[in-house]
Amino acid sequence: MKTPLTALALALMATAAVAEYPEKPVEVVVGYSAGGGTDVMARTVAQFLERELGDGASVVVKNMPGAGGQIGFTEVSEAAPDGYTLGTFNLPAALALTKDRAADYDVDSFTYLANFVEDPNTITVAATSPFQTLDELIDAAKADPGAITLGLSSLGGNDHFAANMMQDASGAEFTLVPFKGASNARTAIMGGHVAAGTMTLGQTSNFPDDLRVLALLANERSPFRPDVPTAKELGYDVQMSSLRGIVAPAGLDDATTDQLRAALSAVNENPDFQAMMAEQGNPIAFKVGGDFAAIAAEQDGIAAQIWAETPWK
Amino acid sequence: MYSDLFHALPDVFAWTNFAAVVIGVIAGIVVGAMPGLSATMAISVLVPFTFGLEPLVALGLMAGIYNGAMYGGAIPAVLLRIPGTPAAVATTFDGYPMAQKGEGGFALQVAVVSSSIGGIASAFALMLLAPPLSKVTLLFGPSEVFWVAVFGLASIIFLLGGNPVKGLISACFGVFVSVIGSDPIYGNDRFTFGQLEMLDGINIVILLVGLYALPPVIDLLETPLKTDGVNSSKLGTEPIWKALPRMNYWKTWLRGSLLGIWIGILPGAGGSMAAFMSYNEARRTSKHPEKWGEGEPEGVAAAEVANNADTASALIPALTLGIPGTAVAAVMLGGLLVHGLQPGPMLFRDNPDIVFGFMWQFLFGAILLVLLGGSLATNSFARLLNLPRPLLGSVIIVLMLIGVYSIHGRMFDVYLMLGFGAIGWVMDRLKFPLPPVVLGLILGGFAEENLRLALRIGRGDPMVLFQNTTSLILVALTVAVVVGPTLKKRFIDRREKA
Repeated sequence: MKTPLTALALALMATAAVAEYPEKPVEVVVGYSAGGGTDVMARTVAQFLERELGDGASVVVKNMPGAGGQIGFTEVSEAAPDGYTLGTFNLPAALALTKDRAADYDVDSFTYLANFVEDPNTITVAATSPFQTLDELIDAAKADPGAITLGLSSLGGNDHFAANMMQDASGAEFTLVPFKGASNARTAIMGGHVAAGTMTLGQTSNFPDDLRVLALLANERSPFRPDVPTAKELGYDVQMSSLRGIVAPAGLDDATTDQLRAALSAVNENPDFQAMMAEQGNPIAFKVGGDFAAIAAEQDGIAAQIWAETPWK
Repeated sequence: MYSDLFHALPDVFAWTNFAAVVIGVIAGIVVGAMPGLSATMAISVLVPFTFGLEPLVALGLMAGIYNGAMYGGAIPAVLLRIPGTPAAVATTFDGYPMAQKGEGGFALQVAVVSSSIGGIASAFALMLLAPPLSKVTLLFGPSEVFWVAVFGLASIIFLLGGNPVKGLISACFGVFVSVIGSDPIYGNDRFTFGQLEMLDGINIVILLVGLYALPPVIDLLETPLKTDGVNSSKLGTEPIWKALPRMNYWKTWLRGSLLGIWIGILPGAGGSMAAFMSYNEARRTSKHPEKWGEGEPEGVAAAEVANNADTASALIPALTLGIPGTAVAAVMLGGLLVHGLQPGPMLFRDNPDIVFGFMWQFLFGAILLVLLGGSLATNSFARLLNLPRPLLGSVIIVLMLIGVYSIHGRMFDVYLMLGFGAIGWVMDRLKFPLPPVVLGLILGGFAEENLRLALRIGRGDPMVLFQNTTSLILVALTVAVVVGPTLKKRFIDRREKA
């Protein structure tokens, strides 16, 4: 009789604990400055998560910018897994930087709660560019290997991986030019200083008159730009994107994990939330729990492979 | 092109936005009037506090402070022969003799009207030149930006008035600081000593607060009440509208404005340079140059019109190309970035109300200068010099610490700032100029990053740097800046011999 009783007591305690969480403000650590894309997503999610957690819960966004997000990711991985420290998680950036430098965390340092945004990469040229299709661009790159320059937002990010995977799939050789950030890369593409670029669809969205998107590196066409073909349709099986989700430190207990995952799913189902995200131009690809963890593991593998084959530093 | 300009006007008059300019101008005059406290310092100490404000409130404050401080520096320059800001040195030449003759009030009135005219001219230059320039910024790729940065670094020569060797050492220190952090292409750590906080490089505001604010504060605390006994009853204060007809310096005002605007646009040189050049030119063309230096009001006009005329124009390269030419412009650019406003052609297209509103704020800041600084308060501002200095110093130190901490919310930055402050204090004592450090940091980073990008685009061929007209024009300008002064000197020497 003793064991079932203990189990019951434990279960009761667990329920009590769940009922009490959150009893103090929940912090969402953002590894980038206020006002950026990740920060805006975190603040939007936080606002709706507060309502879902109920009982006057408070969810606070804390910006810890620096070292390409590494300071924030490290902070989350090292925080107590008590559900009071969550963090935004950017793929593949967060895991790519564990390859090229000594980071204090890896793919197993987190409890994957839910991914919200998936912004697919593209192959984009200036509106004034002579290249009208992806094939024209690739043919030019094959005709004179290295003559076609591709602008990237940085090395070791989704732009870079997209370019690498495109090279592998097509057999063409590009000269990769890593700018300091997406907006510098975009300006250089628009000014014709590089022939093309791999920025994400979201980063092209405000410039329909200045940029021509040749292909989308995704499995399916985007509802934002149904006119743009996928690379897969054109015969190059390449998928790469920038993902943004919410994680907690590894070792978060199951009850809190489930509660947070349920709350984040409810956030996602809220039409107001969907409307706000659409207004911000954030394509939602909601993946909760195990699905999110699987994406992280897959991205970790891609980063490891590219790092092994063509280390970028 | 200019319709956005007028579209932005209503927002500027929202009372919070307008109040920000008014408060900024007053605060600027106060800070400028404190010897040692410069506009750069005021804005860099205050910028972290504006992060939470609406963009136009934050920018209005900065525009007001900049305009106010450039005039405020004239108050102690005239009354005590202590330039309140580096840009007010030329104001002392004739301003102080005027005060000794009992014309201090009139000297300050000339200063405020001239400052205001310079600021207004500069704001118009920004409004007229920035929008068309923003249309051609797409022409500026990595190789062109590289040459702009090199040109800016070369024109630091302008700043090396006293001792060129010390100036160059200062500039090299700045360039070295720009190297700290992960390298712009591969992301390898450089001089970070394993500190994650240094991986992104040294934030310009941290360096500025350390270099520009700590040394003067230490001075402030070291030298209690030396010459602060200003007798404000000495100021001959007739109402400004009665004084206005006595000011007939249109030629000087026009020339000083144009010089100031031009020097503001050039990356590298700044307000003090503009004031000196304007003063010298005005004196050279004067009918009675022998009276200069003995209390000639036109000398005050020449210096003050020029040091305000570079304020808004310094933002032209900053807003269009993202290359700040002066320390103040760099800080303001930082303020824009915090609000998600990326400089370049997109800024004018995506946020016209903010960027053009900012330009209006410069204009109104300059106009308000006459009302606030001239008609009602010159006497009260003169009394500022009697404020207890230990109190002032302590307040500034607290603001510095809180401000720097709040940039990223970490103590590391505060220690970094104090370290730069110590370096700045030593450099100040050894008479190393500080502006080249800041420009070295800003422009050195631009030069390295863009040189490497250009070479990558050119697949290692350095000829990529000379491939188009824009680059070649910039190369020619750079050569002119470097060789020009030497040639001019030789020419003058030869003519004197002949």
